[in-house]
Amino acid sequence: MTDPTKTGAVLEPTVFELSHPGRSGYRLPALDVPEVDLAEVLGSANLREGPPELPELSEPEVVRHFTRLAEMNFHVDRAMYPLGSCTMKYNPKINEEMAGLPGLTGIHPEADATECQGAISLVYNLGRMLAEISGMDEVSLQPPAGASGELAGMLIVRAYHNDQGNPRSKVIVPDTAHGTNPASLTLAGYDAVEIHSGPDGRICVEALADMVDEETAAFMITNPNTLGVFEDRIAEIAEIVHSAGGLLYLDGANLNASLGVVRPGDVGFDVMHFNLHKTFSTPHGGGGPGSGPVGVKSFLAGYLPTPVARRDERKARGFEFDFDYDRPKSIGKVHSVYGNFLVAVKAYAYILTLGPAGLRRVAENAVLNANYLQKKLEPLYDLPYKGLCQHEFVLSATRQKEHGVRALDIAKRLLDYGLHAPTVYFPLIVKEALMVEPTETESRASLDRFVDVMAEIAAEAERSPELVKGAPTETPVSRLDESRAAKELNVTWQGR
Amino acid sequence: MPYDSNTDRDREDMLREIGVGSMDDLFADVPSVLRTTADLDVPGPLSEAELVRHMQRLASMNRTTDDVVSFLGGGIYDHTVPAVVRYVTSMPQFYTAYTPYQAEASQGTLQSIYEFQSLICRLTGLDVANASMYDGASAAAEACLMGVSIKRRHKIVVAGSAGPALRAVVATYLEASDIEIAELPVVGGVTDVSGLEEHLADAAVLVVQHPNFFGVLEPMEELAAKCEAAGALLVVSVDPLSLALLRPPADYGAAIVVGEGQSLGSPVGFGGPLLGFMSARREFVRRMPGRIIGETADTEGRRGYVMTLQTREQHIRRQKATSNICTNEGLVALGAAVHLSLLGKKGFRELAVQVTSKAHYAAEALASVGGVSLRFDAPFFREFVVDLPVAAHRVKEELGRVGIWPGISCGCWYDGMEKSLLVSVTERHTREDIDSLASGLEAVISAGGNS
Repeated sequence: MTDPTKTGAVLEPTVFELSHPGRSGYRLPALDVPEVDLAEVLGSANLREGPPELPELSEPEVVRHFTRLAEMNFHVDRAMYPLGSCTMKYNPKINEEMAGLPGLTGIHPEADATECQGAISLVYNLGRMLAEISGMDEVSLQPPAGASGELAGMLIVRAYHNDQGNPRSKVIVPDTAHGTNPASLTLAGYDAVEIHSGPDGRICVEALADMVDEETAAFMITNPNTLGVFEDRIAEIAEIVHSAGGLLYLDGANLNASLGVVRPGDVGFDVMHFNLHKTFSTPHGGGGPGSGPVGVKSFLAGYLPTPVARRDERKARGFEFDFDYDRPKSIGKVHSVYGNFLVAVKAYAYILTLGPAGLRRVAENAVLNANYLQKKLEPLYDLPYKGLCQHEFVLSATRQKEHGVRALDIAKRLLDYGLHAPTVYFPLIVKEALMVEPTETESRASLDRFVDVMAEIAAEAERSPELVKGAPTETPVSRLDESRAAKELNVTWQGR
Repeated sequence: MPYDSNTDRDREDMLREIGVGSMDDLFADVPSVLRTTADLDVPGPLSEAELVRHMQRLASMNRTTDDVVSFLGGGIYDHTVPAVVRYVTSMPQFYTAYTPYQAEASQGTLQSIYEFQSLICRLTGLDVANASMYDGASAAAEACLMGVSIKRRHKIVVAGSAGPALRAVVATYLEASDIEIAELPVVGGVTDVSGLEEHLADAAVLVVQHPNFFGVLEPMEELAAKCEAAGALLVVSVDPLSLALLRPPADYGAAIVVGEGQSLGSPVGFGGPLLGFMSARREFVRRMPGRIIGETADTEGRRGYVMTLQTREQHIRRQKATSNICTNEGLVALGAAVHLSLLGKKGFRELAVQVTSKAHYAAEALASVGGVSLRFDAPFFREFVVDLPVAAHRVKEELGRVGIWPGISCGCWYDGMEKSLLVSVTERHTREDIDSLASGLEAVISAGGNS
């Protein structure tokens, strides 16, 4: 039977095409004050000719439109989402409910501290918990995403060196780094200097020693790195960087593997950011909102973004919690207010639900699941970096490429089997990379299913490569033409 | 723990299959001297019932805009959030999805963000928009960097009447660059245009908030003309609701329009998540930061959507990217798209008319209180500044006791405005609310600020 949704050229019209003049899906209260003459109060020269051409739909039509769009999405509540470095774990439902409590959603940020003690205590206490988990001394929740946390962290590095009277010019990053790392340090005024990974996927400590000099502001790394490998010589690395006066920065994207196992602050990191939307289970929302708190050792605490939540147990000012704005050394603000508070609420609820033993079990199961998958997939796909992995590992589709099947094709074919694809073509140093991060919330049965499908695709790649290259066929649309999108650029609906 | 599906037995079996003896062996790469030996000192574990009790207690320690009559605004506004917005953004297909890297399995996210971009452009009048920024302030900062890269001039000029948070975040983003920031003085509640030519002579951009922090409309026509003459780009930070009534900034020559989209379907939420948006002239699209969704077709010619122009972005271009932004505010942008679609052409305009009408009713009511006057004699949209005979914080304290939060003390942000209050009104305020503010203010003032 033909799928009726696939016979037309348009799966779901845009909201503009669904518009019909005269409708609105929302009713306002009756205006109980005199209606102003707009030209008089705003000035006729300031007024637009007619209202903006927004679509006109009833409420049920709006709901149907977005429901039909939703049905075209893959999501983690449906099946495994093994995107490497993205930590697509299950998003606990109670956390969504807690973040929707009217006593939290309805707080205006300009309310006096006395009127929002619950909210400030949450900000303060989540900061304390993240500090304890990471071994950092102080944490600010202000950065609204990981890259914003990186910028804040790098500006802290900069402020520190400037204060020492010793501004520096470069930051070293490994070739396995997330793209945000070099982009953020550039925004913080530094030159990115790349260090190559050694044959075991780790930083070559000897090469680093040659590279670090008095111009090195920081060494910015992810640990475990994006190959899923822990930098086992991290103590030596810290020593090299510190003895040259530099700082050690941790991109905390992969912190999931370390919870309760190893604390970045204990192994020499001076500054780091967290990704609450990865490690601490807050949903990714199809591209945010995230939350990227920045944590530092105490000697850097004065540089944290303003304001900083603080606690006064003696209530000298009459209350326990407030925000400290008097931070003369601060890098300033990276967000309009306090960051993505309602995202932080979910991370707070998650930590309280798990407790210390539960957090450690997250790391254990994340690493267990990854190693289990790696072991099962190693016979089927090339594994450039062998040995135990941490929370993720990177396969290479070089074997399949001999049949003309690329990593991208394998990714698309996975969609046909109802699974999400791994991250592809990253890290950049692995050819035809497939970067797999199962996370701790997948069951063994779910991992086995992934292995079965990957085995089937490997067999298909040999037997019928065209099938894989023609994937996906089971998704709402077949493969989309990315170069046409860039060439015939259409980023806004031009019709009525 | 409730969220992992492996039993202890599963774990043992899996360890055996991997070929290691214990969980400790699995972490062999982590030198034992570096490992955490003690349990983390964090609270928990809590059952769901215990968690709920704790969170409800925390929530009860806050007074919200439902508990009091609040006139707080200053960029974050207490509008009714339609149930449909929450309903759609609570769909797991949207909120538990990642960034749409696999377009064929993410058409819902991609099309809704394409619609968001289109809706933003219908407000601003510009050609292209991106998939969102963190907030209005960071969007303004990114617009400055974008303008500098387009014009290759190393100076920006910011109106002093732009919100303090916006100016602070712009300063942070530009801190490490060699870009000079000049701030224009405020006279009579609006940007002082005298001497602007000089400032703009070697500037890449002029950033103006319109309506500005005081709610006042800026002389956009004049500012735009001076930008044009100086060869600088005009960046306007807008309140999206104002664009239901006010001229689309493209009309008067804005090159880049940014803004805070919280009022489009988000709760006040203690200030986050917020929603930054950015739109620009088509010629600048390759200089824009962040995700951009574009229309294309699949192999069978069906319409579809993908992330496009990705070579601008950090995951491809790394240190040469237009920005470091990766995760943005996707779900909040979806909520804004739902909100704008729901209100539609008619409802969105009606909302703006209500807000304007109630704000002007409030301004008149307050100005009729003895000793209170409107600070600025200029057109305003949804909020306005009143001068009081006593310190604003005293009035706030007194009125707070009777459940009225009269506004923001301007003295926190502007020198010499300790007796000024920024009063913000939305459709949620009734005439009674506004009258109670006026009578409460009268009582406080007649008691000498000490009722």
